[in-house]
Amino acid sequence: MDVYFKGIQIAYSGIMVTLQITVFAVLIGVALGLIVAISKMSSIKPVRLIFSVYVEVLRGTPLVVQALIMYAGVPMLMQTYGINFRWEDPIIASILVCGINSSAYVAEIIRSGLQAVDRGQMEAARSLGMNHIQAMRFIIVPQAFRIILPALANEFIALLKETAVLSVISVVEVTRRSMLWAAATFEAWPAYLGTAFVYLSITIPLSRLVAYLERRMAQSDRSK
Amino acid sequence: MIEVSNLSKSFGKLEVLRGISETVRESEVVCVIGPSGSGKSTFLRCINLLEIPTSGEIYIDGEQINKKDVDINKVRKKLGMVFQNFNLFPHMTTLENITISPIQVNKTPKVEAEKEAMELLKMVGLQDKADVYPASLSGGQKQRAAIARALAMKPEIMLFDEPTSALDPEMVGEVLQVMKDLVNQGMTMVIVTHEMGFAREVSDRVLFMDEGLIVEQGRPEEIFVNPQNERTKNFLSKVL
Repeated sequence: MDVYFKGIQIAYSGIMVTLQITVFAVLIGVALGLIVAISKMSSIKPVRLIFSVYVEVLRGTPLVVQALIMYAGVPMLMQTYGINFRWEDPIIASILVCGINSSAYVAEIIRSGLQAVDRGQMEAARSLGMNHIQAMRFIIVPQAFRIILPALANEFIALLKETAVLSVISVVEVTRRSMLWAAATFEAWPAYLGTAFVYLSITIPLSRLVAYLERRMAQSDRSK
Repeated sequence: MIEVSNLSKSFGKLEVLRGISETVRESEVVCVIGPSGSGKSTFLRCINLLEIPTSGEIYIDGEQINKKDVDINKVRKKLGMVFQNFNLFPHMTTLENITISPIQVNKTPKVEAEKEAMELLKMVGLQDKADVYPASLSGGQKQRAAIARALAMKPEIMLFDEPTSALDPEMVGEVLQVMKDLVNQGMTMVIVTHEMGFAREVSDRVLFMDEGLIVEQGRPEEIFVNPQNERTKNFLSKVL
């Protein structure tokens, strides 16, 4: 039995790295995603096009490939241009690549949220003399935010799990901890059971929270 | 006060308005009637530029509003709008719905805006609903709150886009009563409506629209009792 506890303990020792990457990546993802969402709704066609391509590329390639490009590819590219660059810490590269990756998904979440707000809300706001920015700020965005909150929390859960692939670029997070221990002790079964347990201990409470948010939203919809 | 000259509006190939010229004087109450798809709502929505006219001119207080360099937000403050579907802001209480624009757009101090809002709520009979959210109001109450919200910006003109069409029949009366109070206060009003009895009772003038044109217009007793145009006769024979 002890060996199973050890497996969990080992996996848990990577939790701070996993959480750190996820939290910062989501923050970057939301900030970038907002810019991408607004740009994708721009009235200027080339801007729309550029950001549509941005989203397509990021959603159409695996995160592990993006991580390899960021961690190994980018320094090499810079070196061919004579810039001596390497990542001090793979965690920085990880946060960046996860944040950029997440921004593509978050952008779509935000865009659908803004578009889900009834058109009449914007018309009512404008008819009351508000300009476009005031109408967005006071009327549209607060309503959109409530709509997208569950989806954003889901994105956080998805990203948390996806950070496991960062072990490929030598980030010692939850999965990597277990891999190292399994390799040293040959205790593969307790090791990876522990890994799964650690991920579940975060994702289950979070998905309960999402379900609660969705229930509450459905209620306020019913009484509309 | 409102002057519309040769107004046209197309959505793609569909011509919704085909050259409308009309003047609404101060304190005049004008009802616009006609079959669905005749362009009544589009005509009303063009007046505060929720729809941008394809061609023609619109003047408010002698100033053309549909040209470049006009601050449309400033013009819209003179024009209150009431929608068929109320369009109250669901994330705000009734009071906040009414005060948001005075506070944010006119920079009215909050205390003063709330005081004025309470007076408006009293006028529409909703003083006890100030702190509830629109979700818990009935249709008639929602529409009365929406009228109070539009009035909070102290408009010179009120535009009503089928204000009772989305209401249960027993709630139509309370909304029409609030509108009658406004008529008695001398408000300039343009009302798109299917309530023929109401149109006949309150309006100074009735416009009958069909296929994007004002086919016939006149005092309500002329239009309702003795319509001249064949299409007006046909329409009224079906709805009266």
